[in-house]
Amino acid sequence: MSTLKTNAGADGCADSLVHPTQGNTPAPCTLGCAGGNDVRQWLGIVAQRTKLGLSDAQAYARAWGVIADTNPFPATLGRICPHPCETSCNREAKDGAVAINAMERFLGDWAIERHLPLRRLEGASGGASIGVVGAGPAGLSFAYQLARRGHRVAVYEQREHAGGMLHYGIPAFRLPKEILQAEIARIVALGVDLKLNVAVGRDVSVDELREQHDLLFLGIGAGNAARLGVPGEDGPGVVGGIEFLNAVNRGEGFETPSEVVVIGGGNTAIDAARAARRRGASVTLLYRRTREEMPAIASEVDEALAEGVSIEFLVAPTAIRRDAIGPNAVMVQRMTLGEPDESGRRRPVPVPGAPFAVPARLVIAAVSQTVDWGGLEPLESAVGKAQTENGAPDHHLWSGGDMLGLGIAGMAIAQGRHAAETVHAMLTGTEPPRAQRRAAAARDVAADFYPASPRAPLIERPVAERIAQPDLEVHETLSEQAFLQEADRCFSCGQCHGCQYCFMYCNGGGFVRIGQAEPGAYFALALERCLGCGKCIELCPTGYLSAAEAPN
Amino acid sequence: MTEGALGKTYSSGELIVRQGDEGNCMYVVQAGELEVVREEHDGNVRVALMNAGDIFGEMSIFERELRSATVRALGEARVLSVDKKTFLRRIQEDPPLAFNLVKIMSHRIRRLTEDLATLKAKTSPPAPRANGQERRSGRDRRHGGGRRSGVDRRASAAGRGRNA
Amino acid sequence: MSESLVQLLASEGINLPTEVVERGIEAYMLHMDVGSVRIRTPSEEKRIAGVFRGNGPRGSERSLRVGFDRYLLELAASSRVRVIRSLVTRVGWHEDRPEIEHGGGRRASYDLVALAAGVNSQLLQNGCEAAPAYTFPGTLTSFISEFHLGQAAIQASLGDAMHIFLLDLPRLEFAALIPKGDYVTLCVLGHDVDETVVDALLAAPEVRRCFPGGKVPQMACHCFPRLNVRPPAQPYADRLVWIGDCGVARLYKDGIGSAYRMAKAAARTVAFHGVSAKDFEAHYLPTCRTMNWDNTLARLVFMSTTLIQKLRPLRRGVLRMTSTEQANREKFDHMSSVLWDVFTGSAPYRDVLVRSCHPGFIASLTWNLVAGNAGALAGKRYGDGP
Ligand SMILES: Cc1cc2nc3c(=O)[nH]c(=O)nc-3n(C[C@H](O)[C@H](O)[C@H](O)COP(=O)(O)OP(=O)(O)OC[C@H]3O[C@@H](n4cnc5c(N)ncnc54)[C@H](O)[C@@H]3O)c2cc1C
Ligand SMILES: Cc1cc2nc3c(=O)[nH]c(=O)nc-3n(C[C@H](O)[C@H](O)[C@H](O)COP(=O)(O)OP(=O)(O)OC[C@H]3O[C@@H](n4cnc5c(N)ncnc54)[C@H](O)[C@@H]3O)c2cc1C
Repeated sequence: MSTLKTNAGADGCADSLVHPTQGNTPAPCTLGCAGGNDVRQWLGIVAQRTKLGLSDAQAYARAWGVIADTNPFPATLGRICPHPCETSCNREAKDGAVAINAMERFLGDWAIERHLPLRRLEGASGGASIGVVGAGPAGLSFAYQLARRGHRVAVYEQREHAGGMLHYGIPAFRLPKEILQAEIARIVALGVDLKLNVAVGRDVSVDELREQHDLLFLGIGAGNAARLGVPGEDGPGVVGGIEFLNAVNRGEGFETPSEVVVIGGGNTAIDAARAARRRGASVTLLYRRTREEMPAIASEVDEALAEGVSIEFLVAPTAIRRDAIGPNAVMVQRMTLGEPDESGRRRPVPVPGAPFAVPARLVIAAVSQTVDWGGLEPLESAVGKAQTENGAPDHHLWSGGDMLGLGIAGMAIAQGRHAAETVHAMLTGTEPPRAQRRAAAARDVAADFYPASPRAPLIERPVAERIAQPDLEVHETLSEQAFLQEADRCFSCGQCHGCQYCFMYCNGGGFVRIGQAEPGAYFALALERCLGCGKCIELCPTGYLSAAEAPN
Repeated sequence: MTEGALGKTYSSGELIVRQGDEGNCMYVVQAGELEVVREEHDGNVRVALMNAGDIFGEMSIFERELRSATVRALGEARVLSVDKKTFLRRIQEDPPLAFNLVKIMSHRIRRLTEDLATLKAKTSPPAPRANGQERRSGRDRRHGGGRRSGVDRRASAAGRGRNA
Repeated sequence: MSESLVQLLASEGINLPTEVVERGIEAYMLHMDVGSVRIRTPSEEKRIAGVFRGNGPRGSERSLRVGFDRYLLELAASSRVRVIRSLVTRVGWHEDRPEIEHGGGRRASYDLVALAAGVNSQLLQNGCEAAPAYTFPGTLTSFISEFHLGQAAIQASLGDAMHIFLLDLPRLEFAALIPKGDYVTLCVLGHDVDETVVDALLAAPEVRRCFPGGKVPQMACHCFPRLNVRPPAQPYADRLVWIGDCGVARLYKDGIGSAYRMAKAAARTVAFHGVSAKDFEAHYLPTCRTMNWDNTLARLVFMSTTLIQKLRPLRRGVLRMTSTEQANREKFDHMSSVLWDVFTGSAPYRDVLVRSCHPGFIASLTWNLVAGNAGALAGKRYGDGP
């Protein structure tokens, strides 16, 4: 054996020749996405559009298509998703994560403006009749995935509008109704039969549905506000968070008293508080833990504070005090943080001392939500079982979304899609897609390779304007220039972005250009010409090239 | 001194060039401090101090003359030599190469002129200035060798003045 | 970096700082099968700079060190050169000016483009779109690798010297070990050097002896870079000029020095004359021609080193002559100075050739050939290494 191969083998030294192998290690953003979106892929299409020979418009349309493949709501999620994709972005440590969420929004808006339709998959082969209960993101995602595969899908929604909590929970200043409805209309345009104002279990029975359809999907969300469980809760002047937001979102012209107290620390609480502020009230939000533990999206909390919502941390309600008109205060107990509970957050424990009063004419209890099984009680136990058996106790009943546990919209969309993919495989007798491999994310990225470029700032409208126009969107969509600049910031972790360094500096000629380039596919390896120096691996900024076992 | 040191390292007091020796190279100070000393019959006079980046001994590149002063290390110092032959060959190929040297030399002449002026202001009787200068430079032009030592003597006198 | 380049830079006011120079070198050791001899610098000072071009060998921690290329780039930047860290992928033409495409699709056109991409990138491999008359230089594949030994071990086994191996191995021209900080660089020049050549070299006892315990350690990294050995056709065009290795370069030795000189010649042309092909022809081409002529003579010089490599009696003669000269510390004589300049690239090959045709040189070599081989017959070896 050659001494170079063994590096003076007689001395027992290790191998010196290094040959590259190409491997698309998953990117942290892609792995971090709750919706299972291939973030790196669509970012790559935009960032690499020149190398791919695409015009800007072609690139945007293709990128949007990649998003829409798993998520038919880019403009919506581009506004409301708490974007766990960005939390794990490798660029964070350099000069801020890529503003993936804002970019998704840009593409979503762009597609709405240009009326880009969702498309059926080529060779769509289905022919089954599918019934979906609930037109929230879970149900609509399920309906979309099956409709584009050629199945006949009917969606039953008890309310006047589709969208579930996205329509009736999230206020317009975060998600304009037209945006959401435009994205829903595209799904309907695929041939989905959306039956509004039909409550399953009341207007139509489950048995009737079972007769009409080959299988059913439940995406009924969690529409009941949980109760506080304190004296004085019953009676006028105390409402659940989603009830309040429902009323706001339906545009009901109800009177909001001047002193409002919101109880809770999640998105519903924050949204309710901000909506109440916009109706002229002075709003105090009570939360029993500290800011650290607040489940609401951090930036939303900041915005609420900026809009004048005051927040009391470490307080828990003990009673609602009432007078002749209605409630006049929430009695609260000062709390402190004790040992961590099963969720890992430190449990609030009362601090000795008497409760004190926080004045309130309207109390909004936004502490949690539960599933509203009204009329669907027979299915409750079946779904409980379904959860443990891949959503299909009898292959005729599937489910997803908040009804399986409170989550975020991206999760509901992903659950709807996974169920649809499994159902389609079952119906067509094909192999169901495997659960995503939880591979380690690409971390071996040469951050220094990329020029410094600060993250695009979110453009926020002034507070005064926001309060004066309650439905005015708080944030603006990125400009096209900022969008493209953000695209350039993507490291393309773990995937070739065609920088050409390997090709340029390989003395053996071990890299052969691929005629029709794609993100991740610019060069093919010609290992027979590899001299084994490993320079390409060292140069590769993305970690796409790594050392392979030397061929014998 | 470190591994990455170029040139030759001299210990404190060691001579790099000796006045009167034949020279066939110039020097570039890499590190440390050197003193330029003129040996006069009535003792040694420090003419100048040299630090990193300074060039000396360049006269012997252009004239076949003996070293005009002694250069010695003040503390440990490191000096790189540049061969006359190598340098002249390069100037042949790349005349602007001489630019850096010309710049250094013109800078020195400027300094010497200033020193000279100060000195004359102190020692000469009040006389029409222009005349005196003309006379002197006229004499200098006639005696090549004398010019250099003349300059050195004036400079050393200035040096003495400073050191006194 | 050759002695002549270090001096040239110093006289222009560019003094390489100690963070850049891994090791100052003052001597080299010539190793042949018949024995080894140490050749000191004529000036007995460290005038050869061992530098790393980039960040140093793979995996080395060099926080306080600065690579030579980075030093130069910073120097350029401090003279208000705008440095754009981007890979150039095409040099074409836009209207009446050359245009560069870089960084995945960005374009910029300039009044003049100087191409200094060397011969180790694909950029000019298949010519240049902007100048069809240009052809890529003829190249040879060489080998370079790094060994981590640590300063102490390097001091003990290699010292402040560069080690040159003139061994009779197939396709090998010569090889060198150069100490640099904690590392030793192995350079192998020859005719299409490949694994086999390197293997044979590393197996040679003369090489192994230079490593602690006679063991060749694991390589930190290696590669097979190309050398410019034949000039390109027409290294200039309107608004385009090729400098350094992708243009005309010195054969085998002092490539960096020659790149520097050619770059200055091109810059002088541009600064004092212009950027047209005519200007380059009148003012840049002559420098290219001088270099090419010297390279022609270089081939003669290297024919004789090949001869030394092949003929054992000749090796004995050379070894004896050099050892004798080196024993006399005051003088840096015929063979010493010729070998010094051949292996360090400190003087034009023409000078080397002239000196080796000196009657004194020939007389001395003849005498040493006789004496050296007579000695060898008696079983004596000269100047064996430490
Ligand atoms: C105020 C608020 C703010 C939020 N903010 C965010 C945020 O910023 N980002 C984020 O990602 N997530 C947010 N969420 C969570 C997100 O909205 C939910 O996770 C998501 O909407 C769940 O989708 P789903 O389809 O499971 O349920 P839902 O959206 O609740 O939809 C269920 C649908 O089923 C219908 N339905 C129920 N029962 C029947 C029946 N018997 N017959 C017919 N139809 C029926 C309902 O009317 C509803 O339309 C927020 C939630 C709330 C309440
Ligand atoms: C094994 C070996 C040992 C050697 N030893 C010595 C020695 O000891 N002393 C000596 O003086 N010479 C030596 N040489 C020769 C010397 O390395 C070269 O002559 C010298 O490097 C030429 O300099 P250059 O600037 O022309 O090219 P290079 O040094 O090759 O520099 C070219 C530069 O252009 C950049 N570049 C290339 N393509 C692109 C692109 N597409 N876009 C942007 N940038 C690009 C490269 O990254 C590189 O920085 C040696 C050569 C070899 C192969």
